[in-house]
Amino acid sequence: MTVTNKCATPDKKINEEAPCILACPIRQDARDYVQLIARGRFGEAFRLVRERNPLPAACGRICTHPCETKCRRNSTDAPIAIAWLKRFLGDNFSEEIRKTTTEKYPERIAIIGAGPAGLAAANDLALLGYSCTIFESNSTPGGMLRMGVPTYRLPRTAIDNDVEFIKKLGVEIQYNTTFGVDITFDSLKKKGFSAIFIGVGLLESRMLNIEGAQLDGVLKGVSFLNEVNTTGSGRIGKNVLVIGGGAVAMDCARTALRLKPNKVSVACLESRKEMPTTDFEIEEAVHEGAVLYNSVGPKRIIGKDGKVTGLETLKVKYVFDEQKRFNPAFYEGSESIIEADTIILAIGQASDLSFLKGQEGIQVTRGGTIIVNPHNFSTSVHGIYAGGDVVLGRGTMTEGMAQGKKAAIAIHNTLRNTAIKDEKWAEKPAVPDVIPSRIAFIKKEQKQEMPTMPLDERLSNFDEVELGFQLNAAVKEAQRCMNCGAGAFVDDNLCVGCLTCVRICPFEVPKIKKGDATAYIDGDCQSCGLCVVECPAKAIDFKTPLEDCGKDALEAVFQEESIRGVKPLIINFYCQYSACNEDKIDATDNVLFSHVRRVGVLGLGKVAPSLYLRAFELGAHGVMVTACKGDICHFCKDREWVERRIKFISQLLGGLGMDPGRLRTHFVSSQNGKEVFELAFRMVEDIRNLQTIT
Amino acid sequence: MIVASSKPFQEIKQMLSGFKKVCVLGCGSCVTICHTGGEKQVTELAVQLRLSAKLEGREVEVIEDSTLRQCEWEFIEDIKEVIKDCDAVLSIACGIGVQYMAERFPMIRIFPGVNTTFMGGPVEQGIFWERCAGCGNCILGTTGGLCPVSRCAKSLLNGPCGGSQNGKCEVSQETPCVWHQIYDQLDTQQLLATMETIVPPKDWTTGMENHPRKMILEHLVMKKQ
Ligand code: SF4
Ligand code: SF4
Ligand code: SF4
Ligand code: SF4
Repeated sequence: MTVTNKCATPDKKINEEAPCILACPIRQDARDYVQLIARGRFGEAFRLVRERNPLPAACGRICTHPCETKCRRNSTDAPIAIAWLKRFLGDNFSEEIRKTTTEKYPERIAIIGAGPAGLAAANDLALLGYSCTIFESNSTPGGMLRMGVPTYRLPRTAIDNDVEFIKKLGVEIQYNTTFGVDITFDSLKKKGFSAIFIGVGLLESRMLNIEGAQLDGVLKGVSFLNEVNTTGSGRIGKNVLVIGGGAVAMDCARTALRLKPNKVSVACLESRKEMPTTDFEIEEAVHEGAVLYNSVGPKRIIGKDGKVTGLETLKVKYVFDEQKRFNPAFYEGSESIIEADTIILAIGQASDLSFLKGQEGIQVTRGGTIIVNPHNFSTSVHGIYAGGDVVLGRGTMTEGMAQGKKAAIAIHNTLRNTAIKDEKWAEKPAVPDVIPSRIAFIKKEQKQEMPTMPLDERLSNFDEVELGFQLNAAVKEAQRCMNCGAGAFVDDNLCVGCLTCVRICPFEVPKIKKGDATAYIDGDCQSCGLCVVECPAKAIDFKTPLEDCGKDALEAVFQEESIRGVKPLIINFYCQYSACNEDKIDATDNVLFSHVRRVGVLGLGKVAPSLYLRAFELGAHGVMVTACKGDICHFCKDREWVERRIKFISQLLGGLGMDPGRLRTHFVSSQNGKEVFELAFRMVEDIRNLQTIT
Repeated sequence: MIVASSKPFQEIKQMLSGFKKVCVLGCGSCVTICHTGGEKQVTELAVQLRLSAKLEGREVEVIEDSTLRQCEWEFIEDIKEVIKDCDAVLSIACGIGVQYMAERFPMIRIFPGVNTTFMGGPVEQGIFWERCAGCGNCILGTTGGLCPVSRCAKSLLNGPCGGSQNGKCEVSQETPCVWHQIYDQLDTQQLLATMETIVPPKDWTTGMENHPRKMILEHLVMKKQ
């Protein structure tokens, strides 16, 4: 049996997927970009994000991040800040993306609306080889992102940067073009568009059907936001009341606060726990000074001389009935009044489907949304597709993008008569939660805080409140990720059932199940790599090429022109877990720059002893291993293994007659600090002084 | 399982000196399990050999491979192609595998890379103890399941001897006296009386005294055409 391809028969359950990926409507490769950031490979991480996600900078800010809700790190301490890490990439990096095809098809596709769904559809169709034109009624792109999301949450530059990238793929955007007015289905057909994707938003704010709704001082939520977002001011009084408990309501309240009235309050039917938005949004609104009135329903808006003076409310008995339907009930005689001179209605959006005139064949729901086939997003009329809020009612940004992406594939399949599939959407089982007995083995690591603008500065402008991660914080945060489902796996054909992995794994992951002759590693592997190195049959490897245990990086060093003739050449194997600590060495320093090459590995437990020998074989004159100091090891056990392997390899080197000073190990607190620099410097000097080095 | 320990590198180097193309060949059974003859050790030895050649300015090509079991003709047949240009093979299988290789490939020099040591098992990770001497006439049924032939320094059948002290063997303080252990075990099983039966001298002709031993399973033997 000669064995060349170790991954030829991947483990039976290799297809268990990380829940963060499965939770994302567009199946963003959360785990893998987080893992790339953890290794400092930012450009590749950006590319990975961008290849899946047409709006990374925007998404990293306002996505409701279901990935984090599902993150398995919830059971050990706190979820990985997946969205903030994406924002970090979107803000700081840009990288060409790999095109899926070089094909250029003759068909042109019309996209209505430059919101998340439309932009996603255009982006993916462009990548598939089609020319797309987006028709947008506004003079700027973004749709609801621009109209409805306040600038302090999503600076317009973030939208613009994302859209610029899409335009570079060849997508054209025609602004100030309203569907149903400036263009129609017929005019588009005449112009030769082969398919139409409708991705318009819900432009109408829902109104309250109660007495006083027509009074002066009653504003519509999204119109209010749009006005402030575009002009920086809004017509409000001194005492503002927002009605609604969702994200738009929070946005209205926080936007109103920045216009400096005396008071901003929010009234909603739901209790604090039932409010249909993230805790974070509510907390920020309260933190900035909004007053919350929970479990109150609007009875009538009261006024004087045609102007609003307040809202009469009723106490809520329940919001949802026994069938879990939205069906609020109130306590009779529980009236009370919240005073206000401005009332902003943020109780939801409605569609305006007037553009469908003449296309009666397109079926719509009673709620005013377009009915589509849930698999391919085609409407009941051939060649016309729809997605985003006009289909979802009110969906999230990522749900909108997902529909745009799925429609893009469907359009391609129809036009080409093919049946390509996006494998990422395949149904897969999720890696189950961390088992309780394992939680104690996994090190708790503080989640990185998002730096924010101080409260007193925030309320005087519309600048972004969250300032974004600095590089070190991003890397540290990413390094908390457990690489769920992408850790080690056992090749059944090679495993001899020696039990080494079962015995040495610090997390007790490998098992030989009853009736099996070979070991099995499940998705809970923490990726420490100890078993990969220690398996005597070399039957264990990592599932993704992301983790090469330092091998590729070492070989790459010896491909460099700059090391030719360098004497002495030191290879420094270091642990990337403590490489993001402050106190950076000046990389231009001469000795380090010319004599030392660094091979970073996420945990030195992944480095096989033979790799240290390999460094010498390739031509290194010294090998310096710098591991983390004390108990800071992310995996807790690596230090012990580094020590015993170095001892073992030193004996082998002794047997070869090599000077023991040519292999050194140090435990240091930062991999980029002065300490490492001085150690490297000393090693270079010492080896220079050795009599013979080959 | 068969336990083998690595030969000192100097000895291996000596054996292979002068050969230009060498294959380090592992075995995927016992010696993999005892961490001296598996794929991992193949890599470690190969890189040591290349490095030592480099340090001494010699040119050697070292290739790496492994078989499922070197003690099977069918499995080693696959190696033919791999080693065809080699002038030596360093087999890190047990002595059985080395001999199979040598018999099958008489034109290539085959060297042992390990010392085949005993039959035993890992009593804990990384620690292997001898457990059986292959005496050919097993008496474990009367000794509480502990083998005095392989675990008693003197292979006594009626132990312990006078050198047993505090449960340790007089030959080495590291070695537990197996007869002491047998006593304890029989005591637990309330079979201490067995200790009083004198075991007559054993017929050693079933064991190592009678090399080479062989076993024939008539019902499985395929008739040669
Ligand atoms: S720990 Fe990492 S891979 Fe696992 S669910 Fe969270 S982000 Fe995803
Ligand atoms: S260490 Fe390797 S050979 Fe041993 S049981 Fe685990 S996978 Fe199998
Ligand atoms: S890589 Fe580490 S955590 Fe994963 S199974 Fe192996 S020893 Fe356990
Ligand atoms: S009595 Fe003989 S066959 Fe039985 S375990 Fe001991 S040496 Fe092996």
